[in-house]
Amino acid sequence: MTDAPRALPAAVPAFLELGERLRRRGQLEAAATVTTAGLGQHPTAAAAHDLLGRIRADQGDDAAAERAWRTALACAPGHLGALKGLAFLAFRARNLPAAERFLETAVARAPHDAALLGALDRVRGARPAGPLEEPLRLDDPASGLLLCDADGMRLSGALGIGQSAESADSAAAEATGLLREASRSARLLGLGGVRHLVVESSDVRLAVMAVPPGAALVARRPATTPIGRLVATAQRAAVLAERWIEGVR
Amino acid sequence: MSLARWEGLLREVIAIPGVRGAALVSVDDGLVVAEAAMDQLDGADVAALVAALVTRATRLTRAIPADAPRLLHLAGDGGTLLAVLADPPLWLVAVAEPGAEVGRLRVLLGDLAGAVA
Repeated sequence: MTDAPRALPAAVPAFLELGERLRRRGQLEAAATVTTAGLGQHPTAAAAHDLLGRIRADQGDDAAAERAWRTALACAPGHLGALKGLAFLAFRARNLPAAERFLETAVARAPHDAALLGALDRVRGARPAGPLEEPLRLDDPASGLLLCDADGMRLSGALGIGQSAESADSAAAEATGLLREASRSARLLGLGGVRHLVVESSDVRLAVMAVPPGAALVARRPATTPIGRLVATAQRAAVLAERWIEGVR
Repeated sequence: MSLARWEGLLREVIAIPGVRGAALVSVDDGLVVAEAAMDQLDGADVAALVAALVTRATRLTRAIPADAPRLLHLAGDGGTLLAVLADPPLWLVAVAEPGAEVGRLRVLLGDLAGAVA
């Protein structure tokens, strides 16, 4: 990853500047040593994990780079550098739906970033024409899929990159309550069984649906995601979730 | 905006084939502000149920965290409920039969919500 250096915020620890300089000079082992040592003192510094991710990516160690960037997101949910890095890795692995998802999340946080918008256009342009099934992974928080049981306990997943376990647990409890309320409303209004409930806000679109027997699934996508695509994704995920629950039982 | 104007907007909603009724409800107190063609639906029920749904959906978006809901779309086997935030705490609500043009209804409710605001 030999892109231009990212601007570091003011008053950053000195090791970050040194690590970035070494990376730019191509002294990757030295850069990694400095950054890792600095992380020993500042283990929650997202910028340092981001820098380590770029160093590892430059070294061609994509697995280590991914670990570093995911740690950066755990330290600072929505960290732009980490999102760009993960998009880069996904693009390099030709996982275009994942690259698009990371970039969409980044664009939602920085909607006027021309470089990001350009990257998103390039990724979308690289996708083959025609229907393309997005790979769904229930156990990957980055998939934006949350599965919970009838009591509102989280079974797997989370609603986005960097969402904490506590936040995902809370969302699971609320999603189950919402689905229960939707079922009650549908019954009282003569709408029959609930197929799905879509919740839209200015920054996200959520699809909530029941998964037999008694579980609930939530799919989260950026507000720019076409509504039909969101529902189709949630339906596919619900089928997958039903099989997953059968397997667990 | 006058009650007559609100009722005029709701009449545009029920003009879409398959729409059973439309209402402007206040989710703060679960009351109906205006309604149209709610013959087979109890307006008070609709308002109370939408208020409960909005409350629950708000709690979910807060837990994520994300911005507060501005549209709810409940798709059932026997029909659809669409609710769009107009001028808080007012929401425009429509209930439609299966086969109604839900896409068109979404667009219209969004446009009218802007007019109410």
